[in-house]
Amino acid sequence: MSERVLLRYVGLPDQDDIERYLRRGGYDALRRALRELTPEQVVDLVDRSQLRGRGGAGFPTGRKWKFVPKDAPAKYLVVNADEGEPGTFKDRTLIEGDPHRLIEGMILTCYAVGIRHAFIYLRREFYLGYRKLERAIAQAYAHGFLGEQILGTDFSCDIVLHPGAGAYIAGEETALLESLEGKRAMPRLKPPYFPAVMGLYGRPTVLNNVETICCIPWIVQYGPEWWLAQGPPQLYSVSGHVARPGVVEAPLGTTARELIERAGGVRGGRRVKAFYPGGTSSRPLTAEHLDVPLAHEPLAQLGSMLGSAAVIVMDETTDMVKVIARVCEFYRDESCGKCTPCREGTVWVTQILDRILQGRGRMEDLDLLESIAKNMTGTCFCPLGESVPPSLRAGLEDFRDEFVAYIRGARTPVEMPVRIQEGVLAPGG
Amino acid sequence: MLSEAARQDILRIRSRYPVAQSALIPALLRAQEELGWVPPEAMAEVASLLGVPVETVAEVASFYSLIFTEPVGERVIQFCTNLSCMLNGAEEVLRHVEARLGIRPGQTTPDGRYTLKLAECLAACEEAPCMIVGTERYGNLTPQKVDRILLDTNGGV
Amino acid sequence: METVTLTIDGRTVTVPKGTTVLHAAERLGVEIPVFCYHERMPPLGACRMCFVRVEKVPRLQTACTLEAQDGMVVWTETPDVVEARRAILEFLLINHPLDCPICDKGGECPLQDNTFKYGPGVSRFVEPKRHFPKAVPLSPVLTLDRERCILCWRCVRFGEVIAGDHALKGHERGFLTHIDTPPISMERPSKFIGNTIAICPVGALTSGVYRFRARPWDNRTVPSVCTHCGLGCATWIDVRGGEVVRVRAREHRAINDIWLCDVGFFGYDYVNHPDRLRTPHVRRGGELVPAGWDEALDLVAGRLQQAPPEAIGALGGERITLEEAYLLSRLFRTLGTNNLEFRTDTLHPLPTREWAWGMEPMPDGEIYDPDARQRGLGPRPMGGAIDQLDRVRAVVLVGCDLSEEYPVLWLRTKRALDRGAQAVVLSCKRLEIEPYCTHSVLHRYGHEHRLIAALARLVRDRLPTTPPAPELDAVDVVQIAQDAGVRLEVLERAASCLLLQPVAFFVGRLTLESPWAEPTLRALNTLRALCGGTLALLRGRGSAVGAAIAGMAPDVLPGLRPLDDPEAREALRAVWGKAPPPRPGFTAVEMLQAAASGRLVVLYVAGADPARDFPDRRLWERARENLFLVVTDLFWSDTAREADVVLPALAYAEKDGTVGNIEARPQRITRARGGPEGAWADGTILRALGERLGIPMDYATQEAIFEELRRIAPDLVLDRPYPIPRRAPRIEPLTLDLPEATGEGLVLVPVPQLFRPGEMTGRCRGLPELAGQPVATLHPEDAVQLGLPDGSLVELEVEGARTRLRCRVAQEALPGHVLVPIGFRELPLGRWGVFRRIVRVRVRALEAVR
Repeated sequence: MSERVLLRYVGLPDQDDIERYLRRGGYDALRRALRELTPEQVVDLVDRSQLRGRGGAGFPTGRKWKFVPKDAPAKYLVVNADEGEPGTFKDRTLIEGDPHRLIEGMILTCYAVGIRHAFIYLRREFYLGYRKLERAIAQAYAHGFLGEQILGTDFSCDIVLHPGAGAYIAGEETALLESLEGKRAMPRLKPPYFPAVMGLYGRPTVLNNVETICCIPWIVQYGPEWWLAQGPPQLYSVSGHVARPGVVEAPLGTTARELIERAGGVRGGRRVKAFYPGGTSSRPLTAEHLDVPLAHEPLAQLGSMLGSAAVIVMDETTDMVKVIARVCEFYRDESCGKCTPCREGTVWVTQILDRILQGRGRMEDLDLLESIAKNMTGTCFCPLGESVPPSLRAGLEDFRDEFVAYIRGARTPVEMPVRIQEGVLAPGG
Repeated sequence: MLSEAARQDILRIRSRYPVAQSALIPALLRAQEELGWVPPEAMAEVASLLGVPVETVAEVASFYSLIFTEPVGERVIQFCTNLSCMLNGAEEVLRHVEARLGIRPGQTTPDGRYTLKLAECLAACEEAPCMIVGTERYGNLTPQKVDRILLDTNGGV
Repeated sequence: METVTLTIDGRTVTVPKGTTVLHAAERLGVEIPVFCYHERMPPLGACRMCFVRVEKVPRLQTACTLEAQDGMVVWTETPDVVEARRAILEFLLINHPLDCPICDKGGECPLQDNTFKYGPGVSRFVEPKRHFPKAVPLSPVLTLDRERCILCWRCVRFGEVIAGDHALKGHERGFLTHIDTPPISMERPSKFIGNTIAICPVGALTSGVYRFRARPWDNRTVPSVCTHCGLGCATWIDVRGGEVVRVRAREHRAINDIWLCDVGFFGYDYVNHPDRLRTPHVRRGGELVPAGWDEALDLVAGRLQQAPPEAIGALGGERITLEEAYLLSRLFRTLGTNNLEFRTDTLHPLPTREWAWGMEPMPDGEIYDPDARQRGLGPRPMGGAIDQLDRVRAVVLVGCDLSEEYPVLWLRTKRALDRGAQAVVLSCKRLEIEPYCTHSVLHRYGHEHRLIAALARLVRDRLPTTPPAPELDAVDVVQIAQDAGVRLEVLERAASCLLLQPVAFFVGRLTLESPWAEPTLRALNTLRALCGGTLALLRGRGSAVGAAIAGMAPDVLPGLRPLDDPEAREALRAVWGKAPPPRPGFTAVEMLQAAASGRLVVLYVAGADPARDFPDRRLWERARENLFLVVTDLFWSDTAREADVVLPALAYAEKDGTVGNIEARPQRITRARGGPEGAWADGTILRALGERLGIPMDYATQEAIFEELRRIAPDLVLDRPYPIPRRAPRIEPLTLDLPEATGEGLVLVPVPQLFRPGEMTGRCRGLPELAGQPVATLHPEDAVQLGLPDGSLVELEVEGARTRLRCRVAQEALPGHVLVPIGFRELPLGRWGVFRRIVRVRVRALEAVR
């Protein structure tokens, strides 16, 4: 078990106050960078650290920064703090527990890439986080870490804290930019709207996750070799049927079994039936996968993904049909509505699942669900619609018996708490 | 319709962004903080303050779950129904909330104090099941805890 | 030009770099189905219908968004593509209602067509379909059926990208998304909503006017031209059972592209209206009684013959074909008079050769459309002034409410603005299109001529080599700005815009129908002498400019050749047997003045309505007393009711011939249906009169008439702008006097309004509702001061007359002005003297607001 890095100060009293933060070594990395390193050297450190984005896509951060043209007249940093992937709460934890880390990381990023204006797109529901960041930003300005000519150099930087307004899709990077521009959060075409090339207001934009940015001060302060030797540190959100749900810091590649243990084991001493390794957008795995390293490649090989590293544990009492129905409803209600397969497919799928749960399913429905899952794979405009097939496939392949039980009447019909909107779609019966 | 303070705040918000339309969502939220929701007149005012077409304000406002385009109670309860909360007994707690308040999701109590809305993952799964009342988050909910919270947030009534 | 070569379905094609796979496939004749993609808007990639398989790329790609690359290999009919198309259609159909039997779109529906070609044959959907209210009228002409909507976003994007009026928006998100008129809006009806009906790929948006009238396979379709505003948009007329049931846009890339305005879309029912005149009438014993054609024509011919040539005159031209206007001018000139005038609703006719109505093209006629490159279309020679807007860097609007006066011209202008051109607007009211205008110079009514002079001075001072111009030295820019209520910086910024080349100047009705029209035009000429640019006098409806070319003007010959041009006179003598009189005839104003003093005794009015439209009703009344008045018209217009002889005429949809638009471009119209039995085409009437008058005008075909006109106007070519000689730009003597003002109170500003009552539009379903009641618009400051709440009933007092109407409080009006629309009977602006001087009016509240 390695020493905590990202979570080292989270939970300590007054960590969100700049005086404490400073006393605990805060803004040392920034000072070091501004005094001893060129922007290119900072980029190089991040590149060599092999840091991959922690938002879900896992794109190498250094490489992303290098896409931004050096001499672009306007460039932006946008931090994706719209953490919305179900089961994920690491960013919120960092924001509430160590907000200055995020700010320091942002300033370092701006220095590295030559950016003047930065934005934090913060989930509206993070009311506490908003208050903490607002205060932390004000403190940073007061101490001269933000604003004009930071620490006596000719590097200037501003941060604007920007609230979301309740839309999971705004966590998708191009939809986020649309929302930040004051529009409906509908994803953009890529190409040409790769954020690093044509991002906010059409300008080159570095768009990074909160956790990713929080890694930056550590990497700059202690170097890539040290960083890699720590694992590198990865945050896993562990929740569901575990005794002590929480954020677990562990090396990238830790197994689910180890994480569940660190989270206090399955509650009531029960056994794992299934778990989502990377939020509900990933394919849920079964108990036979408890020893798979939770990293990008091993999970991709299983048809799943690391995503936001949110591990949701489900024990043997779990009704998988209900779980999958609830998950599909989530995507239905959060769909932006732009593309046909996602907008229509999510509705159809939830109608079928609802009917199955109510005891009016048919065996053909299983083939139909599989067909719809296939038709939603590789056809959607953005990853939101593509997040439905993995759960459906896992359900039909790994938990088929539960579906059949409902169809054959062997299970008591269930009413979901979230019903299809009355008046718009009338559930049968 | 908006107070002078709100109008000034919105203009201040506008000045933070290179493009005025970026201020739209924070401006709407600021109007909502004052009025509880965003009526059409307030939308028109925001449109005018930001120099954004009034038609655009309506289409943007209606996209987002937390911009209320219809009146809501004094406090909005956002009750999480997503997976981790569901796995930890959220449904039962929700039924308790519904019974206590006498309303179903989407409705407002007759005395105008609470509107109950179903929310998606609030990113607080370590304290599932959880809900937000107004701007405060409450976790590890039980029926008893809910009763206490409703008491506290209702001014002791 | 850089190209790429790719392979589609085994065949190679080379296309310009930047071409999408969809367009590349089109070149090979390979059809790829689409819904959300529309040619005139950037690709969206939303519907997912246009998938193709690209080798070496794991996912299917949407052809409409995919840029073709060198060496790309594309397949459009592989099993996975076929399956994907079926899947997308299945998704669209699961909640689509089985409305085909009652849906107007049936038969011309892309969803039907694509389902037939690529869709599933059987439905697997067993859930209850969602239901919404059906056939919701969103406007008097637009019906929404939300169940049918497939959320392709075309209509919303049309309002954002093409029209700029945001008429339809998408609300909420996901499967709850619904397209609707926004809950709060500027509350003016869209002028272009008919286009959304055309581009909607399903029956979600349908015409409330065309509803249930025909199936597309029932209709006979002929190509024609819209003859309302004068832009000459190309149309298709759909006829069923002898009734004009619908008008659609016909593509004309040099004029309207693929669009129409709502008057064009919905302004056709008048043709079928039962009010159509069917029999001639003559006045006997003070009453108009039905008569036979022979009797009526004999009477007219007799009067024309009896009167001395200088005492007869003809008005009209806008509402008749170019050929008919030519015959009219021939008849009267052969009778010995040049008293011919097509401009029947103006008090300020200017010399026709100098200040011709219409749009002047740029010197070189070539235009190369960047969009066309993608589709393999080459340059279009002889682009006209409208087409050339794609090249301008600046557009200057002077007293021109473009979207109200020539709406589709606004669409073309917006396209230029989207490509980077800047717009300078000099206006005494806020225009609807103001958000798209770079520089808005809002000024007091009556100051255009001074402001243009000021701009000329500013431009001159900014030129690298300042040309001498004593006329400009005396121009006091600071004073002019102050008098006009304009901030100096605003004027200076506008001036810097004028140095962009090429620049197009548009002058509209607000200026052209004022006493300072000519000073403004001279100031514009002075400005153009310094910064170049084309000039468009945006006046003239229907075939007005066509009529000018045909010879319906008192001071020029057909082809706008000078009256004393020996060659032209000889050519006319050769075909007509007689040269036209050498001296200019009367303009409309002069004809009426002559009639009032008894010097004009016979007036022939072809399809014009001067009793209603002529801006000096008193002069008309005095003239009427001494006139034998002959009118050809479709309906009992005001002029017809006052006439001595009324002859029932045919509408444009019932005739063959050509009409000339404001570019002076003759275009063919095609007879779509027979007219009411008993009505004759104006051409037929004129030939019959000619026979009686010993002036045989026998032509085998309409083309023969056109050919004869070409003998005097050899540059007249079908579908090409005719080069109209105009006054060249030069430094002119400037008039800077402020116009005369009478009365007290707010300044009355007469503003053009697209939707307004008329003999034709008043008889079309939906258009009268769009016109609504006239309102007086005041600025909030004035409204507060006068105690006039929005929507309250007010009284205008002017020249002793009192008029009641509702008031509207809006920033559209500037302080000190009250805006009133032109064209409403309740507001006799001409009688109030509005077009002769500045008129002030008292505005009083009549009731407390409800």
